Order: sequence, then structure tokens, then C-alpha cells
Amino acid sequence: MTARETEGVLVTIDGKEVRAPEGELLIKTAEDNGTYIPRFCWHPRLKEVGMCRMCLVDIETPGGSMMVTACTNPISDGMVVDTKNDRVKKAQEAILEYLLINHPLDCPVCDRGGECPLQDQTMSYGPGETRFVEEKRHFEKPIPISDLVLLDRERCILCARCTRFADEVPGDPLIEFKERGYGTQISIFPNQPFSSYFSGNTVQICPVGALTATPYRFRARPWDLKAVESTCPHCTAGDRISIEASQNQVLRFLGVDVDATNRGWLSDKCRFGFEYLNSEDRLTNPLARQEGGTYEEVSWGEATSIIAQRFGAIREAHGGDALAVLGGAHGTNEDAYALSVFARDVLGTKNIDCRMDDALGTRLLTGIDRRARISDVDTAGTIIVWGPDLKEEHPTLYLRVRHAVQELGANLIVIHPRATGLDDRADLKITYRPGSGSDLLTQLRGGDRDDVNALLEASPVVAFVGRTGYTEGPTMAEAVASWILELEDSRVLPLARRANVFGALDMGVAPDLEPGRIAATETGRDTRQILGGLASGDIRGLLLVGADPVRDVPDGSLATSGLSGAEFVVAIDMFHNDSTAHADVILPALGFSEKEGTVTNIEGRVQKVNRIAPGSGQSRSDWSIIADIATALGSDLGWTSEQEINDAMMARVPAYAEASWDALDWEERDGVVVPAPGADVPVYRPEMTTQPTVGAELVLHSARKLYDDGVMMRKGPSLHRLAPGGFAHLHPDDARRLGARTGSAVRLVTKRGEAELPVQVDPSLHRGVVYVPFNQPGVGPLGDDPVVRVTAVGEPD
Amino acid sequence: MGSEPITLTIRPAESGKKWSDESLERARRIMARYPEKRSAVMPLLYLAMAEDGRLTNGGMEQVAELVGITPAQVLAVASFYTMYKRERTGKYLISACTSISCMLTGGDDVFEAIELESGVPHGETDEEGLISVEHVECIGACGGAPAVQVNYELIEGVTPVKARELVRWLQQERPATINTDEMQRHFGGRRSFDWAVAEEASAVGPYPAFQPFGTVGGVGEGE
Repeated sequence: MTARETEGVLVTIDGKEVRAPEGELLIKTAEDNGTYIPRFCWHPRLKEVGMCRMCLVDIETPGGSMMVTACTNPISDGMVVDTKNDRVKKAQEAILEYLLINHPLDCPVCDRGGECPLQDQTMSYGPGETRFVEEKRHFEKPIPISDLVLLDRERCILCARCTRFADEVPGDPLIEFKERGYGTQISIFPNQPFSSYFSGNTVQICPVGALTATPYRFRARPWDLKAVESTCPHCTAGDRISIEASQNQVLRFLGVDVDATNRGWLSDKCRFGFEYLNSEDRLTNPLARQEGGTYEEVSWGEATSIIAQRFGAIREAHGGDALAVLGGAHGTNEDAYALSVFARDVLGTKNIDCRMDDALGTRLLTGIDRRARISDVDTAGTIIVWGPDLKEEHPTLYLRVRHAVQELGANLIVIHPRATGLDDRADLKITYRPGSGSDLLTQLRGGDRDDVNALLEASPVVAFVGRTGYTEGPTMAEAVASWILELEDSRVLPLARRANVFGALDMGVAPDLEPGRIAATETGRDTRQILGGLASGDIRGLLLVGADPVRDVPDGSLATSGLSGAEFVVAIDMFHNDSTAHADVILPALGFSEKEGTVTNIEGRVQKVNRIAPGSGQSRSDWSIIADIATALGSDLGWTSEQEINDAMMARVPAYAEASWDALDWEERDGVVVPAPGADVPVYRPEMTTQPTVGAELVLHSARKLYDDGVMMRKGPSLHRLAPGGFAHLHPDDARRLGARTGSAVRLVTKRGEAELPVQVDPSLHRGVVYVPFNQPGVGPLGDDPVVRVTAVGEPD
Repeated sequence: MGSEPITLTIRPAESGKKWSDESLERARRIMARYPEKRSAVMPLLYLAMAEDGRLTNGGMEQVAELVGITPAQVLAVASFYTMYKRERTGKYLISACTSISCMLTGGDDVFEAIELESGVPHGETDEEGLISVEHVECIGACGGAPAVQVNYELIEGVTPVKARELVRWLQQERPATINTDEMQRHFGGRRSFDWAVAEEASAVGPYPAFQPFGTVGGVGEGE
């Protein structure tokens, strides 16, 4: 960097001298120093195009003053800029008068009215009237360009924000300008909708009401909305959102631009994944199962005393270890802390786990000292992704990696059993068979792959490590993490599902951790062992907290047999689901927009979750339900508010000492990152182990798609129909050998389940691998054993 | 309130048909001339027109697949340029120049003569699919104005009478290939300059046969 880039150059804007890095765009320098230059096409997270001409300003040159677009002109030393003189004003008026030649004046019925950059800037900078009397151009409107997004071409001012976003950010250039001149319009290809996982972002950045999203259209006027900043409840990235509600109904999420996490972007699952909060299927009252299996509404007092009586009896007769707790990864840290204390100190059990047997070891997730931060990918020399397809499971991390590779020049190595969303940006893609990962790892560790060695020379190395699919155990990822940490100047970001799983682990919702990431002196049972214990009768009572093991545990049959074998099951949840069907008492819980607290993301960043609407019916926070059950069991935990639990948590968990609500609300609005282990708890070194190679002819690869059949999806009408459904993906060679082709049916039999599915021939697979998306509508669980037998059903023609 | 969800039906691709092996081979040769495959979009679009007689959705999808971009991006290019015909176009595309040089020397009359003789107005095609007519902006023959093209093969110094003869010749003779020298002899007048070298390439459809650019419309071209 030159001195001018670091120390900055002197620029005079409207008579005020400011200093900024040389090369920065004038529009940004002006804005950062208090001068707003109007614009439509420029967006700080997109490349500049200078299309709308709204940001014209006057700069002084040796040949006299000259009009330039502030969004395409980098500043230089001594630049003198006038953003408000008569010439600039005349240009601004002219641009707005031109834009309004065709833009309809339908603001009263436009969703954008009231928060519309065109409306606002016309009021501030426009001429007030127009000389154009000609007919405006007309198009059929609105037209759907995807299942979620509608396009009104009459309102469009052709700023290219949406098309640039689609191309530059997620790499889904499915919308483009069509025709030219007067006929120019945004268009999809006739039979190819804008089916990007990130399509909703275009609605948020559209400077007019040309793009609208079906879940929000005509639901509210901006001035009737109240908003609160919060943290996205879907994946572990901890994306910052603004939750907006009217009349106590959450109506939309907007992405908030925070450099630490999502930079304003959200996946459609996050953006539109609020509908379930308003679902009519929400539980409203405590329910108790009657003789004959029906549920009756009971009062909170009755429900609590039934639970206390039954749990108490089991504890008395068989000891606390006959009880178990599953879940807690969807709530706040305060809920998780309450749950952890309740399980250990009240129920007297060590059998507690927030992971649904689909995650990594708790120590890998919380205990390594070289855990990467999300922002580390921006300075990475090489990024390695050996884990789930980030596009399907961690969509905003996918965008971050894509940006680092595409714009910042990082190397990218992707290792996965089939195609992933990042492949088109990868310098090296290694496709392998689940069950032979150790062979590959041995090669990489031994330095046998020159292509890998060459890429790894660019440091620092940042690796995303997780389970590529459920038929590959967590020890494989542990070995991968161990290899990465052997490399010099490397960091690992271990991946896990469910929004607050990292917070829940920090609070000790794990069989081998106590609050504060401290290794438990005695290890309890994990999810798999709890379910096995329930089936065998070792464990008799179970508390489910926002958990649906029947759907979420890869070996769903194990979950079903465990839950059916349980003597007494309590579920705290927002909905009935496949697991609550086994519950004796079901308690209605608040959703994340209905409570206040903190959550912790994948990098250990603690952020606030805030309340904007009341819950449905009599639903309550997890912690207060738990506190009441504790009291009924004779142990008053003494908590009367989330704030008090937060205080207790900060006192007991040193890593969270700085994460007070006050700090998070006011001073540290991007959150507080908890310190790495070392100071308070010992550092964990992941273990290098070798997995036996699976020799079967065909192995199963079972992994999630972004859209699946989870309950939050099922209760959201806009998203649920996007789940692609069940398919068996076969490599072309395997398909030929089996006599199957795309569209024909095959029967899959594993040790733990079976299914009949339509075939999708998928050349991206490693030969001998059968890929079945996990938890799709109408597909039962196939378990986590990799061996699969496949036979063609019916005769292919 | 408008709460009824609007559903978008995803239709199957217009044609599942792939190009002939010969066309695919030709596409590969065209792409090999560029350091980036996507740079070959424009010549490949002519190949797509040659394949289907016009630019179909299937053709654009094939081009997208070949060069590794999305069909929407191909459509953006294809719809920007008027020479990529997405509507049905006749075997012979007659383009009369009405830009300034031709207009000053009677180009409008030549165009009107073509419209009247063929009965086909601007931008349309006759019922049989034989002749399409259009007036176009400058085709670079100001020295020999007024100028007309058939399948982008040039004729200079055209008069309204010769233009009518040209239309009748196309209708009656239905030549298999269109050759500029041959048309110039029969229907042309004053030339801008002596072309000296005989144009060997002939056009076989409403897409250009520009030999040096390896476009696809002609016969007798080398690559």
C-alpha cells in the first residue's frame, strides 16, 4: 500500500476538507464525511456501474469544472468537489424528470411507498413537476420471476442492482437486461426462473417497488411497521437482521449490513423463514395426553405438577440418570444456561445434549484455540472447505467465501462427495467416496498431492470443517481439523447446525461439558446413547426442548424407537411435530422474536436477540417453564427474568463476562466474541485417527438441502413448496449398471431404513456414491450407515 | 388482501433436442479461437440460427451450455442485437438501407418498392416463409447508395425497378445460395469501388457469411 492509500489524500467537498484513502470512490468519501450524494444504482456491496447518473457532481479540473458521476470516480489528492451548486442541482432535476417519464405514480398502492429511494430523492432533489405528457411505457405486471419474487417492469428504473447482485454475489446470473433502448427490461430466460437461494436480497436493494416478494406484498405500509434488530434464527452464522412487525405479527426480515457477519445479505430461507411464527398451528396451551392418546388443554399449574410428579418419581426410583434432556440449540444462551443448570442440579442427570447426533464432538466445536473468525476468510491465502456444501447449509458463509475467492484472490480447495455451490470458484475440487476419506487425508497429510501442496503455499489457511454428510462420522472431521492445525498459520472453523448450538454448548447443554466449556468430571450420554437408553429402558424420562429427533437425528428409526420406549416424555415446543407425538405433556414455547436474550454464533460471537411481538396464546420462554418445573420439584432456582439469568451466566462462565445486555445493545452492536480457550479452560487438540475404508460397492451420501421438511419450513407456506423432494442421485456408470435412468425408480435398502425414490443421474458424484437429500417431504430416514443396496424398480423403457 | 400465492410454473425446456454432431464440432472450433469460451457467444448465436432457422430458446440454451453461462445471459446478448432473429424469418431476408446516404439517393423508394412487390411490410415474413423484409440502419455502403442486402450479401446502386426484379427473382428462382457478385450483376448499379476479388462465399440463410469472422451463414468458407 502506498502512503496515500494508508494515510489518505486531502479532498475538498462543498468547501470542507476531508482526508480519505486514495482511490476510494467519491460517493463513499462524501457519505462517510456527512455529505449524502443521491444515487440509485450505486450500492456499497456491489461493483459500480454509473448507470443511473443521479450522483453527478462538479469537480474542478485545470480545464474548468466538469460533471462526473461520484460513484465511478476515485478520489485523488487535492480534488475539489461541489455537490450542491446550481449545475449539479439542474442535473439532478433532469435525471429525476427523465426517470419519471416512465415510472408510474402508483406510490399509494406500491409496497415501496414510504421507504422508496426514488420517492424520497424525488422529494429532496426533484424538479417538482414534469414537462412530459406522453403515455408511459406499459408492460404486463407484475410477472413472477421466481416462486418468491415478482417483477413490475413499469416501476423499474433499470439501475441493474438486481442483475449485478445475482451475478456478483451468489453467482446466479438468472436475471438480465433484455432488449435495448426503449424496450430494455429485466428478464429471466423464458423457462428458467430466478430460483436463487438469495433472490430476496434483490427485493431489499431494489431502489423502487419493481421487485416485491410474495410473503410481504400488500401486507403492511412501512410507516405502520415497528422494527427491532436481532440475530437470524436459522443457521449458526448469526446474521444480523431487522425484524419488522405490524399489529403484533412479524411481517418481514431485512438484512442489516454488518461486516462481521452477513454484510446485509440473507438467504431466502432466512429472509422468508418468519412465516412459521404467525402460523395458526402454533401451540397455544399446555397439553396433557389422556388415556387413548388424545391431548387435552391443561393449565400451566396442572402441567407443571404432572411433570414434577412424574420426573420426581423416576428420579426417586431410578436416580437422576434415568432422566435425559435433548435440545436447547434453538433458544437463547439464557434458555440454554437455565436448561443446563436444571438438568445437572435439579434433575440430577448428566444425560443432556443439544446436538441431534448430526454434529461434531463438543470439544472440537468449543475447545480449539485456533478457531477462525468469519472475517478471517477475507485475509486468507487459501480456504479449504471439507464439510457440508456451504450453499445448502450455511448460505451467508457461502457468500463470504465466494467473495473472498472471487474478489480478494484467495485460493479455494473444496473436498466433498459431489458437486457443491462453490465448485465454480474452486481452484481445486476433490470428489471422494464417503468411507474413504481417511485414504484421501493420508495422501494430503503425506504431501503426496502436488496440486494441494502448491495451493497451501498461500497462507494463512482457513478451513471450514464439518461432516460432508451423515454417513461420515464426526471422527473424520476431527481428523481433518487435526491435519489443518498441523499446517502453519492455519485456522479452523468447525461447522454445526442449529442457530445457537455454539451457545448451548458453551452453557453446558452437552454430556461432557459443564457451563463455561469446562470438561465434565463424569461424562453423560450423548443423543445417540440417550435414544438407545430410552429404547432399552435404562432411561425412562425425557425432556425435549425445541427438538425433533425423529426428523433431525440421521438414524430416525433409532429416535422413533427411543421415544416410543420412553416412560414419560415432556416436549417444550412451538408446534406439534413427529417427536412431540410421543410426548405426555407438551408445553407451548415462545419463538425467537418473542423473547429477549443472547445467542452465540459459529465464531463465538455473542449477539442480542430482541422481542417484537407477543407469543401465541399462553406460550412462555423456555427458561421460565424450566424454572417453574424446578420449583415444583422442590428446587427454587431463584430466577425471575432473563436478565437475572444473564447475570448468573456472566458470573459463572468467564468467557461471557463481557457479554452483558447493556454492552450488546449499545456499545458492542456487532456483538462480543468470546475469548478462545486457553485463559479459562484448557485448549483442545483434535485427534488424528484413521477410519476404516468402507468396501461396499455403493455407499450412501446423505446431506441436507437448504429447503427441507423441517417444521419451520413446513409451517411457512412460501418456503415449504420449494423443498425439492426426495431423489436418489446416481453416478451415470452406476445408473447404467443398475438399469436406472433419470425419472425411473430405485429401491434403496440400508441397515436402518429403506426408500423407493425417483432417480436423478448425477455426473458430479464420485462413482459408487448414492446421494439422497436428507429430510425431504415424503422420504423416511435411511440412517447413518454408509452401506446401501440399490435395485431398479420396474423396467426402464 | 392479495394473499393468494402466485405460483410460477416451471415449464420444460422448449426443445430437448441437441445440435447435430457436425454443428457441435463447428461450435467447438469457434470456441477454440477465443481464450475465454464465453467470448464465442456471438458467432455461436449465428450457428444456433442456422440450426433452427431462427434463434429459438432451445438454441440459446445450447449456446449457454456450450460456453458455460446462463441462458438469461445469452438472451441478454441475443436480444440486444437486431441481427439475431428470434421470430420466424424467411429463407431470404431483404434488408434495405434507409440511413442518410441511401435516403438521399432514393433508399426510401427502393424500400417501398420491395414492400409493395413482396407484399411484406417491415419486420414481417410472408406466409410461405420465403421472404422477410426490413429497413435497416447504415450497412456501410454509402459510396454505392442506395444499397440492399439479401441474407446480408450486399447489392449497391439499386433502383426501385431493380429492387422489384430482385424480389421476383427470389420468388421465382428460389436460389439455393445467395452470392453477392451474382446479385450485383443482375440487380446492382453504380458500385462504390471495384471489389476486385470475387466473393466466393455464398449465404444459405438469413445469417451472415462473413468469412474472416468465421460466421456460419455461408458455403465455401474455410475456417
